[in-house]
Amino acid sequence: MQTENLKLDIEATDERRIRVGETAILLLIACVIGTVANYVSTGVGALEAFPGMAILYVCSVVGLMLSRFLPFYLPSVAWVSLIAIVITIPGVPGADWVVEHVGKINFLSLATPALAYGGLALSAKEFAIARTSGWKIAIIAVCVMLGTYLGSVIIADLTLRLLG
Amino acid sequence: MPGSAIFGRGHLALHGLVLLIVVVAEAIGIIRIPIGIAAIILLPMLYAFAMGIALNPNITRATGRVLTPTVQKFAGGMITIAITPFVAKFGTTVGPQIDAIIAAGPALLLQELGNLGTIVLAFPIAVYVLRMGRETVGAVYSIDREPNLALVAEKYGLDSPEGAGIMGVYATGTLIGTFVFAIIPVLVHATGVFDIRALAMSCGVGSGSMLAACTGGLVTAEPENKDLILGLAGASNVLTYATGLYVGLFIALPLTQWLFRKARPDLY
Repeated sequence: MQTENLKLDIEATDERRIRVGETAILLLIACVIGTVANYVSTGVGALEAFPGMAILYVCSVVGLMLSRFLPFYLPSVAWVSLIAIVITIPGVPGADWVVEHVGKINFLSLATPALAYGGLALSAKEFAIARTSGWKIAIIAVCVMLGTYLGSVIIADLTLRLLG
Repeated sequence: MPGSAIFGRGHLALHGLVLLIVVVAEAIGIIRIPIGIAAIILLPMLYAFAMGIALNPNITRATGRVLTPTVQKFAGGMITIAITPFVAKFGTTVGPQIDAIIAAGPALLLQELGNLGTIVLAFPIAVYVLRMGRETVGAVYSIDREPNLALVAEKYGLDSPEGAGIMGVYATGTLIGTFVFAIIPVLVHATGVFDIRALAMSCGVGSGSMLAACTGGLVTAEPENKDLILGLAGASNVLTYATGLYVGLFIALPLTQWLFRKARPDLY
């Protein structure tokens, strides 16, 4: 193992220091690419998708700002999820309208751009670590994912059976 | 924003390249490869990732002129930004399913402990089959995504054997995790043994791309339950943000370390 010289610089991105203006613009770019992806996969045009995408964009920006400015810290993804959950709970004013419009956006199409960036972002170090870690680590990586998923499935399934 | 680098030539070329990859990936669409009673489901996000790797300057020298290390680092930051609208979309699938989620509440909470399944499966293989050293502790205690990495970095340092273990699995998982999570849940579903709700809520155990691949596969296999699958998976993912760190810190990491000391006292 020659991993000693191969340290990944995972700078735990300090979300408190993210520039909101810049991120808002980059989010807009991501949403535009997402809209194109949605069009290619579902045929829903940009105009029809606009209200739904706008809702997702606003959730994202507000979540980011809450994470940045509130006195206690919660990651922005958690805020974004919570906002999106709350505005779609039946009975909350406007929930039906929100659900109708975001329903025109295919969730899979929104993951595609992130993975394209992900493939392009892989650094020489990441390739080197994966290569030098060897086949044992590759086997363990598969076992770790399989074990986590199956462990979770088995406990969830048993609990559902016991409690109906 | 004058002086800001985010609108540089390389950065714009990056977005252009991503747009091109996305269009090609979505145009190919979902492909099912039947194998016996199950099917392997290939999703556009997998082609997008594969094309991204193929065009990565560390693989294809030609793209290195525009995709400089600076632009690549920026692309790393763009992953988090690009996944945020996806996270929002996922949240909007949770609200309408709130009754089903509350009904499955106990299962949803308890399955967080199922994350310890990695220790059950991976620990014996690492220690007894592959005869690995202290790398084992870092490698097998969790699913090895960013929060888990931060925990090991703080406790052992990334230059320790434990750190090398988690970094190896982290980097490998980044390369193959999406593929594994696109394939395994669909195969487990095909056994017909497990409740679709259990399969769905377990999709939330890892990273955002694992969540996407896992639910994408299950929804393709069982389209009539799309809303239920997305709602439960989304709720479980939110829960993992809240509990993951604590399960790792107070249960999984101490347990793995204890097991390892028992199994290989010679290495401590």
